[in-house]
Amino acid sequence: MKSIVITGTRKGIGKSLAEHYLAEGWQVAGCSRGESSISHDNYRHFSLDVSDELAVVAMARAVKSEFGGVDALINNAGIASMNHAILTPADTVNSVLATNVTGTFLFCREMAKLMRRKKSGRIVNFTTVAHPLNLEGEAIYAASKAAVESLTRILSREFAELSITVNALGPTPIDTDLIRGVPEGKMDALIQRQAIRRLGEVRDVINAVDFYLRPESDFITGQVIYLGGVT
Amino acid sequence: MPDSAEIESLVIKSVQMLAKDFEIDALTEPTTDSLLYGEGGPLDSMALVNLVADIEDALHEEYSVNVTLTDEKALSAKRSPFRSIANLCNAITERMPK
Repeated sequence: MKSIVITGTRKGIGKSLAEHYLAEGWQVAGCSRGESSISHDNYRHFSLDVSDELAVVAMARAVKSEFGGVDALINNAGIASMNHAILTPADTVNSVLATNVTGTFLFCREMAKLMRRKKSGRIVNFTTVAHPLNLEGEAIYAASKAAVESLTRILSREFAELSITVNALGPTPIDTDLIRGVPEGKMDALIQRQAIRRLGEVRDVINAVDFYLRPESDFITGQVIYLGGVT
Repeated sequence: MPDSAEIESLVIKSVQMLAKDFEIDALTEPTTDSLLYGEGGPLDSMALVNLVADIEDALHEEYSVNVTLTDEKALSAKRSPFRSIANLCNAITERMPK
């Protein structure tokens, strides 16, 4: 049975991805700051902060002993901050960077240690169209995801010798908690900048992640796909 | 908690396994004096990455201790902890939880 680690599985896209891979017959290890919202024989939940190095190391060790290793990692956990730069406190900057950058890095590092034994692995990081579109009001969120894209490209090279691919996916706005506070007019203007002008759906994300995880995708690494035709 | 002889034995076993995996002839029968990484050492960076991960893993599996060998101290040390097996054993001993 294949096993996958997905971060941020309590709600939204992360929960949908976990349910999708459970339905596909994978063993899934998920995590979130809070308790699990998924009940399934093949699901194991870890309550942790993704930027807590010791907690991530402990999770990796538990995944190794319980699942015997890991085949894929989806770094979905992320937080956004939508605010004018002048109104953004340093605490917000630090917490966005900790979750989105440090958290993504720690999971890449620890899961790559497990994947190297199998001499194969798939890592999918999450970015956002806010970065290529240079969205006003999302400076810190977009900057944190620019860092994730850079991590993705460099780790794809460092992990290539271990036969681990590292790619990223940048969804358009999807109807989740992450965009619930964004005014309707702003959301419409954003969607107008996509080639395909509609809100994203979870199935769009699952489709692209499935592509990266396919065994046949072992020659695809260091790539960033934006949904909706954003370039 | 492992004593110094147990640490040495764990490191030598890990190096032997690595030498087999990476086909490194110079380390098939390692001793504490064997050079590992840097000038004259037979490991390349990828082999070193694997060795460090193997040793951290083995320390946890056999003795339930969490040791991180790639901390700030290791990266800034004048004498690299990865230079030889003896240096590596010392670095592990220094990082054992008190």
